[in-house]
Amino acid sequence: MQAGVAVDVRELERVFTPRKREPVVALDGVSLTIPTGEVHGMLGPNGAGKTTLVKILSTVLLPTSGTAQVLGHDVVEETRAVRPLIGIVFGGERGLYTRLTARQNLEYWGALYRLSSTMIRQRSAALLERVGLVDRADQRVEEFSRGMKQRLHLARGLMGDAKVLFLDEPTTGMDPIAGREFRSLIAELKDEGRTILLTTHDMVEAESVCDRVTLIDRGRVLATETPRTLGTLISRFQRIDVTGADDALLAEVAALPGVSSATPQVDGSTRIEVSEEGATAVVLRRLVDGGVTDLQTSLPSLEEVYVQAIGERGLGV
Amino acid sequence: MRAFLAGARIQIRFLTAYPDSLIPFFTAPLFTIVFLLVFKHAGRQDLTPYAAIAPVFIALWWLALFNSGWTITIERWNGTLEMLVAAPSSFGAVIFGRIATTTAIGTVSFFEAWLVARLFGTPVTIHHWGAFVLTVFATLAAMAGTAVGMAALFVLARNAVTFSNSASYPFYVLGGILVPVSLLPHWVRPLSSVVFLSWSADLLRATLDAAPIHDFWPHLGMVVLLGACGYAVGLVALRVILVRVRESGELSTT
Repeated sequence: MQAGVAVDVRELERVFTPRKREPVVALDGVSLTIPTGEVHGMLGPNGAGKTTLVKILSTVLLPTSGTAQVLGHDVVEETRAVRPLIGIVFGGERGLYTRLTARQNLEYWGALYRLSSTMIRQRSAALLERVGLVDRADQRVEEFSRGMKQRLHLARGLMGDAKVLFLDEPTTGMDPIAGREFRSLIAELKDEGRTILLTTHDMVEAESVCDRVTLIDRGRVLATETPRTLGTLISRFQRIDVTGADDALLAEVAALPGVSSATPQVDGSTRIEVSEEGATAVVLRRLVDGGVTDLQTSLPSLEEVYVQAIGERGLGV
Repeated sequence: MRAFLAGARIQIRFLTAYPDSLIPFFTAPLFTIVFLLVFKHAGRQDLTPYAAIAPVFIALWWLALFNSGWTITIERWNGTLEMLVAAPSSFGAVIFGRIATTTAIGTVSFFEAWLVARLFGTPVTIHHWGAFVLTVFATLAAMAGTAVGMAALFVLARNAVTFSNSASYPFYVLGGILVPVSLLPHWVRPLSSVVFLSWSADLLRATLDAAPIHDFWPHLGMVVLLGACGYAVGLVALRVILVRVRESGELSTT
């Protein structure tokens, strides 16, 4: 086992062979290393292979080839060692016993993680408090909103005190406030030293909670970087939003070396994008010399990186 | 053991949450009435033990089998089957705990069926209490064990509930629950002898007869042996099948 490595995936491949249909390659040579204590985001469109990877790491699906280890234990050969170390939270409405109460759900999973009765009671009470469901603890889950179910999902995933958490689109259905609370909860879990692999479609979420993000599409890893570094992959250079510049000045700036585009925006401003290092300074100087004072520079968001890297198909997620 | 108890505890909660799964408690007394009146009309009061035992066996076996199928189906519908398999506890032990609990609760049908028999003027008397209690325990364990084996098959089935519903009838026939095995064609009888129900049904009927029970211990041994075999085969099958569905990716398929 490599010291400090929570998840180690090497050349992982998974091919599904549906009856009477062509084989589908869900993972195509994925390699990924997640250090202990990292919050790692998996970003990709539907069918990219995110859930397949999570299922293999959680021991419920076997890879076609390649290896995957969690805290040094092989997920194929050492399932008994892996399972007590991991917590799984699959997103969506499913994954809970809806006719049981929130507390009963947690108690059951606590028992399956071989906790003592005292520990089950203490931990379920603490987790219900932590995810803000303490007032609904003895209410049937079928009466919960989607957001409440998602929070209960997370509590369930934590019942076993997992060292490594796999969160598969955990904020699906959460309202913005619950989403924000969820993100602060992720930060707390990170502070406790847990490793988190988070699959998501939400760029803001990935940007705000992840230490690193892996972009995945059609079973292949496109890039693994910090959210900020990923941004520079597309446009290494800043963008400049200009308001109040006349057309002649904008035309002159657009013709400068290293300027790739000058696009009018709906709010009346113009976005100037550069494609060469150093061009930003030249553009800014010319704009200021031309009397423009209302301008703003920025880096591309992870969403732009995502759309750029995955293409138009990414918009359909 | 902890996994078994976890399964048992959750099953009690499920039975409260899903009372429709206890439907045999409503049908057992009705079956008893039908069987008693048929035998009475035919002037065969000597067959009263069949009328008293058959509804109980139907209820118990239905509960065991239906719940093993229902358990797998519900877990799939809930999206919890994968998480259950990924939990540190033995999946087989949890399922065994759940089915055993349901089957144990199913013994209520004894009281129902025999109360109805009394109300219809044909009281049932247990003449060999020790043998009766031992046989009931062995039968419950064998039922739960065999149902675990069936649960393994249900993991493969897309709609386990339908399968489990229809799978109960061959066992009623082969187990000689209502129709004595001796009335079945010769070629069927060897099959009956490997169905634990036939041994336990014979024994239970014998405990209602004042005459001494012949070969009690060998018969009881067969119930235990066949039940244990069912459980062992079930655990192995479950392990093999879980590997297979992990390979094929069909674990969560609904």
